[in-house]
Amino acid sequence: MQKTILIGGAAGLGSAVTSHFIGKVFCSLGYHVFNYRDYPSLIRGGHNFNVLKISDKPVYSHEHHYDFILALDQKTIALHKKDLKKGGLILKAKEMEPKILANNVLIGIFFKHFGIDREIVLKAAEKLFGQNDSIKKAIEEGYGSTQTKEKLKVAGQGKYFISGNEGVAIGSIAAGMDLHLAYPMTPASPVLHFLAKRQLENNILVFQPENEIAVANMALGASFRGAKVMVGTSGGGFALMTEALSLAGMAELPLVIYLAQRTAPSTGVPTHTAQSDLKFALNAGHGEFAKIVVAPGDAQEAITRTEEAFYLACKYRIPAIVLGDKHLGESDYAFDQLKKFQFSGVSYPVDRANSYEHNELGFTVEDAPSVAWGHEKRLKKISLLEKAILKLNPISLYGQGKNLIVSHGSTKGAILDALPQLPGFKFLQVSYLKPFPAALVARGIKKASKVILVENSATGALADVVAEQTGLMIKNKILKYDGRPFVPADIIKRVKQK
Amino acid sequence: MKPEDLSTKEINTWCPGCPNFGILQAVKEAVAELAIASNTAIVTGIGCHAKIYDYLNLKAFYGIHGRVLPIAFGTKLGDPQMTVIGFGGDGDTYAEGMEHFIHHCRYNADLTMLVHNNQVFSLTTGQFTPTTEKGFKDGSSPLGLGEKPFNPLVLALAAGATFVARGYALNVPHLKELIKKAILHKGFSFIDILQPCIVYHKHSLPYLNKNVYQIEKTHDLGNLNQALAKAREWDYSYEKDSKVPIGVFYQKQRPTFESQWPQLKKPWHIVGRKPDWAKIIKEFK
Repeated sequence: MQKTILIGGAAGLGSAVTSHFIGKVFCSLGYHVFNYRDYPSLIRGGHNFNVLKISDKPVYSHEHHYDFILALDQKTIALHKKDLKKGGLILKAKEMEPKILANNVLIGIFFKHFGIDREIVLKAAEKLFGQNDSIKKAIEEGYGSTQTKEKLKVAGQGKYFISGNEGVAIGSIAAGMDLHLAYPMTPASPVLHFLAKRQLENNILVFQPENEIAVANMALGASFRGAKVMVGTSGGGFALMTEALSLAGMAELPLVIYLAQRTAPSTGVPTHTAQSDLKFALNAGHGEFAKIVVAPGDAQEAITRTEEAFYLACKYRIPAIVLGDKHLGESDYAFDQLKKFQFSGVSYPVDRANSYEHNELGFTVEDAPSVAWGHEKRLKKISLLEKAILKLNPISLYGQGKNLIVSHGSTKGAILDALPQLPGFKFLQVSYLKPFPAALVARGIKKASKVILVENSATGALADVVAEQTGLMIKNKILKYDGRPFVPADIIKRVKQK
Repeated sequence: MKPEDLSTKEINTWCPGCPNFGILQAVKEAVAELAIASNTAIVTGIGCHAKIYDYLNLKAFYGIHGRVLPIAFGTKLGDPQMTVIGFGGDGDTYAEGMEHFIHHCRYNADLTMLVHNNQVFSLTTGQFTPTTEKGFKDGSSPLGLGEKPFNPLVLALAAGATFVARGYALNVPHLKELIKKAILHKGFSFIDILQPCIVYHKHSLPYLNKNVYQIEKTHDLGNLNQALAKAREWDYSYEKDSKVPIGVFYQKQRPTFESQWPQLKKPWHIVGRKPDWAKIIKEFK
């Protein structure tokens, strides 16, 4: 069983909520679910849509052909009807007041279609929206207005349904984070909201300072006193933080940075995705110092990689960047279990932190031997980190075959879902980008007959990084730079052309 | 504790006769008299003022240019029980760090901010800053500076600072008392310390020696309008003699930033954390 559902409507009509809710109910019935969000940068109006893929087998991506279109407005039908599969159904929300309840009627109709027990849906609604009689009534109205056409049964044990951003957020809590500081910026802001809402119950502090420069410097002030801090931002905000990133390197202060990429350069396309800040993250900050760049590929990895970032940042007293993007952050993934990382790092206060070159006691120095000593002391961490990440699955290999797809971050889902239709191809996911697991990546590439890079960017930065780190060139590149993530069909078609 | 116990063995590289020595002495005396050394951290920016990092035997963060206030604020967030004193220059605080300055007046965290205001960038060889007077000529403004300086006291008052004062680096006993009051004030305390540079802004020292006076005892500390009027008596220019008031211009109690966050009680590194994984992930099922 596999169903793809598009839920669309003007911003404010509830397509994101509807999609998330339907996904959650299917997760509770044991189905695998992937939920993709697509929305422009506006508050009311426009056209938002979600694509929900539901399957009895693991699914990590969406597609552009739909079994159902749940239309909260006419525009949704006009825009997406062409992508309805043969025999597909369009369910349109009725005209009603208040408009914001129409999606709930549609939810009722949809679940009745599949013969899902009304009580399951009402209970889920209560859990998600709280006790709300008008929502309940609207769902019941939907149930009453149609017949069951297709009986779906429970597929297995209930699953967890979680977005990449939520993964980063709970990873930070699990890692023992004390403070989260962030200035609002899509697509990192959901982490700020999630943590702010739960700050008292977790005894953490979540604060929005005057700008990203303040965010990063406040974080380092707190880190100086031994607090564990994560900041969150996207490319433009990260650009403002790079001065402080270098300070973290020099003063040897632990700091975790969640960098959620979006379509750039500059303002770019604020609510859309890209992987175009890879080299920026790797090279950010003036001067030479050790840092971590780790790119999770799904929400489970967002949890553990964030925890690892804290662990390494604290243990080696360095900045660590968790490199995500809009597609990872705002998509929902389903898992049987949610796992956490086994270690946690300890931070502690120090008497002196110095942006200037300094001696062992933290006092300022300028003489040649001390300057060289300072560099050597700090850069020694790079070789220690190169060893440390080998224990943290810096790369992952999926599938079998003599040919290789290489990628990093959020493309993982679409590649995994494409792989069964690409005989002879396996997939090498690079999770640690700094330090770069050069020997492991080189071995994978050398053993393969054909190597193809997949990246959500216009230039394929990972190929350059591979070349720099291993001396090996990847000439075949499948790139996407229209702000939208890959779907498996894109990859299958383009791999076959190579 | 005696003031000299706060000294370090580092070689002082300020110019001989620099008024920064007066500020260093006043800080040592204030911290010693308040007996707060063991739980005090200082934060500096970059510039001549910042060398004080090496000359004070206190917990210290040698920050970056313009970022003293966010680092000091973060230090306070990291350990709300700590006394935090920020040191900045005029270029540091009013040029590169202006945005922070305005917001930190508003936040009212319990911090003290001491600005070494010499009305010039000295360590970079004498360029103008936002408090340099109109007409000043230097390497970057050889045609003469066309703009008037702005008044940091007026700005701090407008932005909601709860303790606003001006000190004079060459009146150490008075400055020491000001610093003590600033540290004891619960909330954001700001002292603009006139620190005439004897190399790149030579005309200020004789002018200030002649014109500086202590604010009258009759000055009403809680009156914002009186504070603004007093702050406007001198506009940081040197065209003609004008009296330069020093002392506390304004002091008012307002809830501190920390007091509004129930989580901010003790240093985070002593909060024993045992995150409950089952509880954390419950909402996702």
